[in-house]
Amino acid sequence: MKKALVAALLIIISIPMLIAVAAMPPHGDADSPVHTHVSARYIEHGEEEAGAENLVTGVLLNYRGLDTAGEVIVIFTALMAAFAVLITHPGRGEESGPTTAALDPEPGTEPESDSKAPPPISPVVSFMVRLLTPFTTLFAIYVILNGHVTPGGGFQGGAILGGMFIALTIVLGEDKVRTLLPRRAAPWMQGAAVFAFVAIGVIGAATTGYFLGYPTDASLHLVRELMMVVIEIGIGLGGAAIFATIFLQMEAE
Amino acid sequence: MILTTDIRDAATIVIAIFGGVFFLVGTIGILRLPDFYSRTHAATKCDTIGAGSLLLALAVFNGLEASTWKILALVALVLLNGPTIGHALARAAHRTGLDPWHAEEG
Repeated sequence: MKKALVAALLIIISIPMLIAVAAMPPHGDADSPVHTHVSARYIEHGEEEAGAENLVTGVLLNYRGLDTAGEVIVIFTALMAAFAVLITHPGRGEESGPTTAALDPEPGTEPESDSKAPPPISPVVSFMVRLLTPFTTLFAIYVILNGHVTPGGGFQGGAILGGMFIALTIVLGEDKVRTLLPRRAAPWMQGAAVFAFVAIGVIGAATTGYFLGYPTDASLHLVRELMMVVIEIGIGLGGAAIFATIFLQMEAE
Repeated sequence: MILTTDIRDAATIVIAIFGGVFFLVGTIGILRLPDFYSRTHAATKCDTIGAGSLLLALAVFNGLEASTWKILALVALVLLNGPTIGHALARAAHRTGLDPWHAEEG
C-alpha cells in the first residue's frame, strides 16, 4: 500500500517535470534564451569589461558582484544560525564570535576539562595527511589566486582549505591546529569574505561612484585584478574558517 | 613516426582495458561480497588500480605534454589515497565493533 502510494506520487510528480524538460529548447539551440540575452555580451566583452580571463569569475565578481556579495553574507548568516543551534552550553561559546563571547562569563576556563581519551589515530592515515598537507595547501592557494584565469576561485579553494583543516584536526588534535585559527582572530577570519567584499565595494564606490564598481580603464587592469584577488582571498579564508569553526564546534559537543 | 603512435595507442588500449577489468571485478565484488570488509576491499581495488590504470592510459595517450604531468600527479594521489581510505574505513568499522562475516558451519 505504502509502496503503491509512493510510486503513484513519484509518477504524479515526474509527469510535469518531464513535460517541462521536453519543453526546454534543444541543446545548442542558437535561439534559446540562454544565448539570446546577456551571455553573448559576456562572452564577447567579458574579458575586457570584467577583467577576468575566466568568464565565470568575471560574472561572479563583476557583472553579478552584488549577487555574490549577498551569497557570501548568506553563508556567514548560515554560520550564525548553525551556532545558534550548536552552542548549547555557554562555556563553549568563546570561539564563536563576538555575539556569543559576550555571554560567556569566563572564557578559557573549560576547554581542556573534557578530555575523554580519543581513540588512537591510525599511523597510516596520520602519515598520509601529514604528507599531503603541504601539497593540499599549495593547491588551495593556487585555486584561490588563479580563480580569475582558470576554473576555481575563493569558494572552491576555501572548501579545500577547510577540508584540509578538518583532516589535520582529526590527525593532530584540536590543540595543535588551533594555532592556525586562534580564538581571537577566528571571528575576523569567519567574516573575511564579507569584509573583503565590503572593503572592495567601498573602494569601488569611492573611485567609480558605484558600489563594487571596478575601474574600467584598460591601463588599470592590474588594479582591477588586484581587487578581484583580494575578494577571492577573502572568500577563500572566510569559507575555510567557517567550515573549520563549524567542525570544531560540532566536535566539541 | 606512425609506428610510435601505433605503439602508444596499443599501450593506451592495453592499460585502459586492464583498468576497466579492475573496475568490472571491483563492481561485481561490491555487489556480491557478503560483508562490509570484503566490499571495502573490492571498492578499494576500483579506486586504486582501476582509476590509476585509466589515468595512466590517459597519460600515455597524451604523450609528453605539460598536462601529462598533472595526470601523473593524479595517479600518484590515487595510489596513495585509495589504500589509505580503505584502511581508515575498515579500521573505523573494526573499532566500532563490526564483526566480519563467517561462513556458516554445517
